[in-house]
Amino acid sequence: MKLLRRARRRVPSYGPDSADPVLLTAIAAGEAEALEILHRRHAPWLRARLNYRCSDPDQVDAALQETFLAVWKSAASFTPRPGDTDAGAWLWTIAIRQLISQLRKRANRWIGELETEPYETIGDASAEDTVLLNIEHGPLGAALHSLSPELRAAIQATILDGLTVREAAQILQIPEGTVKTRVMRAKARLREALTS
Amino acid sequence: MSGWHLTPAQAHDYAARRTDEITAMSVEAHLMHCPPCRSMLPADEEWLADGWASLRDVVDRPRRGVVETLLSHTGLRAETAKLLAATPRLYQAWLGSTVVVLIAALAAAHTLPRGSLMFVFLAPVVPLVGVALAYGRGIDPAHTLASVTPMAGQRLLFLRTCAVLVPALLLCTGAGLLLPHTVTAWDAIFWLLPALTLVSGSLLLGRMMHLSVASGVVGGLWVLGLILVSLSGQGVPLGVFAPQAQMWWGVLLATLVGALVFRVRVA
Repeated sequence: MKLLRRARRRVPSYGPDSADPVLLTAIAAGEAEALEILHRRHAPWLRARLNYRCSDPDQVDAALQETFLAVWKSAASFTPRPGDTDAGAWLWTIAIRQLISQLRKRANRWIGELETEPYETIGDASAEDTVLLNIEHGPLGAALHSLSPELRAAIQATILDGLTVREAAQILQIPEGTVKTRVMRAKARLREALTS
Repeated sequence: MSGWHLTPAQAHDYAARRTDEITAMSVEAHLMHCPPCRSMLPADEEWLADGWASLRDVVDRPRRGVVETLLSHTGLRAETAKLLAATPRLYQAWLGSTVVVLIAALAAAHTLPRGSLMFVFLAPVVPLVGVALAYGRGIDPAHTLASVTPMAGQRLLFLRTCAVLVPALLLCTGAGLLLPHTVTAWDAIFWLLPALTLVSGSLLLGRMMHLSVASGVVGGLWVLGLILVSLSGQGVPLGVFAPQAQMWWGVLLATLVGALVFRVRVA
């Protein structure tokens, strides 16, 4: 039986230096060692980044566990873009959504379960958002300084973290309409600061 | 990409949550597409090992089969479902031989005159043989281990009996439906009450002796009875399955099951 199950999906040869898509193919074929390599590679930075979104380390750890379990179950659904050797963005979208659902579980149990949206690689952003995603270069940093913390948080959640308006509203704990107006206002401010 | 990369100091500050908001935003935007900088973040080895250990606990758990999942959906407890799903492995040989015997009986019924008598003789014995092989020292390779678990004894015996009876009864019903003279559903299950009576008889007897021996005794009595009826010249032994006889089988079955339950309660 075990032989049959193995034969059904071809397990690629992989090692600690294999690219993420190779590891994910192996995980989809049921290789726990591949998951360990992926965990070792991505858990530290995901943890650091989630720590900026949530101050409770227990919740961050729980979200990370759920993230890698989701990877274990749905590794087959990862479709890399041609030439893409990195699953970081995909993992991040899973991780941030798991964190939101952790926070929801604790905060308001009476609102139903978060309907899970399919995990997609973020980055199919508009041209304007692409500019924002290159904050580390150019004058954008200075422009962001001029924003109020609320506007910055809205920009961070929707564009940098790749969340939907609804998810952003959940993690920021403000109404959806407020998220929309803040993002709009923040973008207008940034445009102003960058063009003037 | 550009030449902009994290310095080790920046990486450490970011990981320790000491970076201010704006810098954190640019670090994050950069990390998204720069694996080398990502690996510069200090990793807490102990935390990694702990995280992986608890992940492995879930990941290494064997996946549940279709039968087990179905059974646990019907409200059975997880361990009972696992036991029932695993038991057929123990008597695969019996399952195979049952299929062969039933096919032979069907072939006889379709080709020989009065060949369906073979099925009539066999059908009540097939579940009995299965039950005899469901539990015991000589049959189960893990018997020594199983006998010291909290589940051992009557409970395990009855669970395994159920796991045997369901496929056996299904197989026999299927074969009964394929008999040449089957018209109504009744024709296909005339053997059911005698079969169940034989099984419960052997279970009751099994409290006094080894289950295989008990089943042998009951099965032997059944065959002997049929032969005697045939030899006594009162015509076809099919009378054993006549509606009136079925009533007696029902009474006998109820008595045996009652006695079984009583014995188990008392024990």
